[in-house]
Amino acid sequence: MPAVQDTIDRVRKIDVDQYKYGFQTEIAMDKAPKGLSEDIIRFISAKKDEPSWMLEWRLEAYRRWLTLDEPTWARVHYPKIDFQDIYYYAAPKSTPGPTSLSDVDPELLKVYEKLGIPLREQEILAGVQKTDVSEFEEASDNVYKSGRVAVDAVFDSVSVVTTFKKELAQAGVIFCSISEAIREHPELVKKYLGSVVPTTDNYYATLNSAVFTDGSFVFVPKGVRCPMELSTYFRMNEKNTGQFERTLIIAEEGAYVSYLEGCTAPQRDENQLHAAVVELVALDDAEIKYSTVQNWYPGDAEGKGGIYNFVTKRGDCRGHRSKISWTQVETGSAITWKYPSCILRGDDSSGEFYSIAVSNGYQQVDSGTKMIHLGKNTSSRIISKGIAAGFSQNTYRGQVSAHRKATNARNFTNCDSLLIGDQCGAHTVPYMEAKNSTAQFEHEATTSKISEDQKFYVMQRGIPEEEAIALIVNGFVKDVIQQLPMEFAVEAQKLIGISLEGSVG
Amino acid sequence: MNMHAQPQRTPAETALIDAFGERLSLLPGDGAVMLKRDDAIEAIKHGLPTRRVESWHYTDLRRLLTSVPDFDPAAATKAIAPVIEGSAVLPLLDGVSTPKLPEIEGVTVQRLSEKLTDGSVAPGLDPYGADDAIGALNTAFVADGYFVDIADGAELDKALELQNLQSAGQTHVRLLTRVGDGAKATIVERQTGEGAALVSSVTQLVLGEGAEVTWLIVQEQPDTATHLAQFKAHLGKNSRLTLFVMNAGGKLVRQEIVVRTTGEGADFKLRGINLLAGDTHTDVTMVLDHTVPHTTSTEVIRNVVTGKARGVFQGRINVHQYAQKTNAKMACNTLLLSDDGEFSTKPELEIFADDVVCGHGATVTEIDHDHLFYLMARGIDEKSARGLLVKAFVAEVIEELDDEAIVDALEARLDAWFVAHG
Repeated sequence: MPAVQDTIDRVRKIDVDQYKYGFQTEIAMDKAPKGLSEDIIRFISAKKDEPSWMLEWRLEAYRRWLTLDEPTWARVHYPKIDFQDIYYYAAPKSTPGPTSLSDVDPELLKVYEKLGIPLREQEILAGVQKTDVSEFEEASDNVYKSGRVAVDAVFDSVSVVTTFKKELAQAGVIFCSISEAIREHPELVKKYLGSVVPTTDNYYATLNSAVFTDGSFVFVPKGVRCPMELSTYFRMNEKNTGQFERTLIIAEEGAYVSYLEGCTAPQRDENQLHAAVVELVALDDAEIKYSTVQNWYPGDAEGKGGIYNFVTKRGDCRGHRSKISWTQVETGSAITWKYPSCILRGDDSSGEFYSIAVSNGYQQVDSGTKMIHLGKNTSSRIISKGIAAGFSQNTYRGQVSAHRKATNARNFTNCDSLLIGDQCGAHTVPYMEAKNSTAQFEHEATTSKISEDQKFYVMQRGIPEEEAIALIVNGFVKDVIQQLPMEFAVEAQKLIGISLEGSVG
Repeated sequence: MNMHAQPQRTPAETALIDAFGERLSLLPGDGAVMLKRDDAIEAIKHGLPTRRVESWHYTDLRRLLTSVPDFDPAAATKAIAPVIEGSAVLPLLDGVSTPKLPEIEGVTVQRLSEKLTDGSVAPGLDPYGADDAIGALNTAFVADGYFVDIADGAELDKALELQNLQSAGQTHVRLLTRVGDGAKATIVERQTGEGAALVSSVTQLVLGEGAEVTWLIVQEQPDTATHLAQFKAHLGKNSRLTLFVMNAGGKLVRQEIVVRTTGEGADFKLRGINLLAGDTHTDVTMVLDHTVPHTTSTEVIRNVVTGKARGVFQGRINVHQYAQKTNAKMACNTLLLSDDGEFSTKPELEIFADDVVCGHGATVTEIDHDHLFYLMARGIDEKSARGLLVKAFVAEVIEELDDEAIVDALEARLDAWFVAHG
């Protein structure tokens, strides 16, 4: 089979060093001493000017964490993480809470500009083109400048700036960093924080509860349709730091919000830890759409370096007829351990999970979802597309369960894997648990390589092989790409191309 | 994670360990066999598996195995009529093989107690993994069984039925079968009895080049019995194995199926029906390893759950890196007929080769209302209509077997179950 051999050869030549966000920036940083202890947690809490109840909450989580063992059930292998060898707090020095963009360190703004994240809202509003396009050519094709997107920029441990706050406030939407929310809206934070992912949830979520440094907070009040896309951009810059962010999104009755998350990190030889928690709460008739394009540094071609991404994301469809939709494009990280889930508590609520996980080099992905049907007439839909190339391992792990009272629970799951090369692995581990006779669950999974017939069909129309494969891969992931907000879809498609470069073209 | 290094033993664990001490002097085996037994009981001393052990996730043996009956020397049962008329019967009555071995052309049968005593089966007694509790339990206690050797090229004109029957107490048996190159056979493994017995049964089957075997496991234990069984097979070059499993009884049942394709061109078919009723727990767990190129497998499992029954199907297909051109398909369909019934399924694919076609599908649902309406609109009452649809749902798997005698025999078992539980 010459064609197969050809693919194998190309996979051998794989070069994953195509990470274009791998630069690092010298910025004066304010850091806590290395390591983790109650004192460090007190330090973080004091830095953030937090009320005492918050500190207590953190300490309780920390004490709980000390009693837990690291989970080992996922199909990921990595040397033991030394939790005492990490900086738990690192913040750019010049930010005692900037009030306007002019207060922000220009170096920092440059970072975001380089990443293509529009923090200069005035320019976007006026539709002004950047004058220094040549300097930041990479950024010029970025999608953000086209639409109106409010951005919360998180740099290592702190949120440096949030845009469009005023306009959002007029609509009644609160969009700010979680630290600010703890200070300004303690009643909301107290009510909802930890109500979806409790401090006792799992090893990494408990750790996050103890040491989280920042993240985004969104509150959309009753009946409000958020007037623009909200977005948070996470950047890990400092050496040896861990990033622990916490995001809390609440959609009250009848509210709607679409939220995007993006992330990058510099190219480094050592591994960095990222352990985030995201909680979503949807009340009656509310809808939350959460999209992620995860592009942490994946490590080099030999599997050296890269981010360990241990994330707990969970949405609670608390109200009747509520809806939560997760869409994720996972291309980065050395290790991904991530299961965005939906608790379908309200009657007639629905949950969705659309995922593309692309792994190349020595990346290890163990990702999937949980759909927990509790209310009546709940429905869920899972579409997962895994693409494994190089020496990577790509696992889908998902659970669908219908509890005793979940009459007419309905689930459809489809997970397909595509293998490119014979050194990688694709795995599917679905769990289905039905405790109600009216439940209707369907699950299907397939694993295959790109069929020679498909490739032949495209190529005989004059399309070169590399493009043919790219076309087929794009077709393979189309179901998920369609779910992304338009601006993100373009970026995601490009990212997939970059991730697979060298393996399919 | 459990904070206690050594959790307290459950009554069942204690009973097993005590029973081993009492039985030891009666168990056959040379030095090598006895060493394997010691290792096995050590594994049990570490505790029976809980749901934290991934392969036992839905069957927490430590919690579910609440009591273990004593060995009952007074137990006495008799051989029964075979499933397929005219079969040669090899009975294991209360765990003991018969000294009157039947004469079948091309088949050599030996009592396993003899093979344990001379130590020739010792190498095969190792459990296949740290989580192999059934293998360990059986290795510790196995006292008898059969060793069946089907000669190269032999084509058996009638089926062979291995009957494992017990009336009380504990029985631990092992059935070893080698099917020679080019041989053809139909073998029935019958698992039934009466009383609240504890049964462990391990079957090991090796298929030579081009061998063709249809193996039927018919498990109809009483709803007081605990049945822990394992079926392990190695498939040689161009061999074909059709394994049919019917579970229609037992209080706590775990049937493990561990199959490995070791020769190119091997084909494995699994067809299973699980008929679950009452307050019972039935787990079918399959691990299928495709280790060489050009092998195929298909698995179809149909489950019917009524009463308070809990059912489990776990099926894992491992495609090794070298096993290019594997074609593997698995389907598990479940009808949940009662509100108190439960079914959990975990169909897994682990794939390390790229040039493969693998897929699995799983569904859980109730009876289709349109189908019911269709039949009732034709004057069939609801109960009969439901019965018809449920039977059609499972019979589809049986009819695929393509051998009239077998199909008729299995449909008769199916009807017997519907009469008892319909």
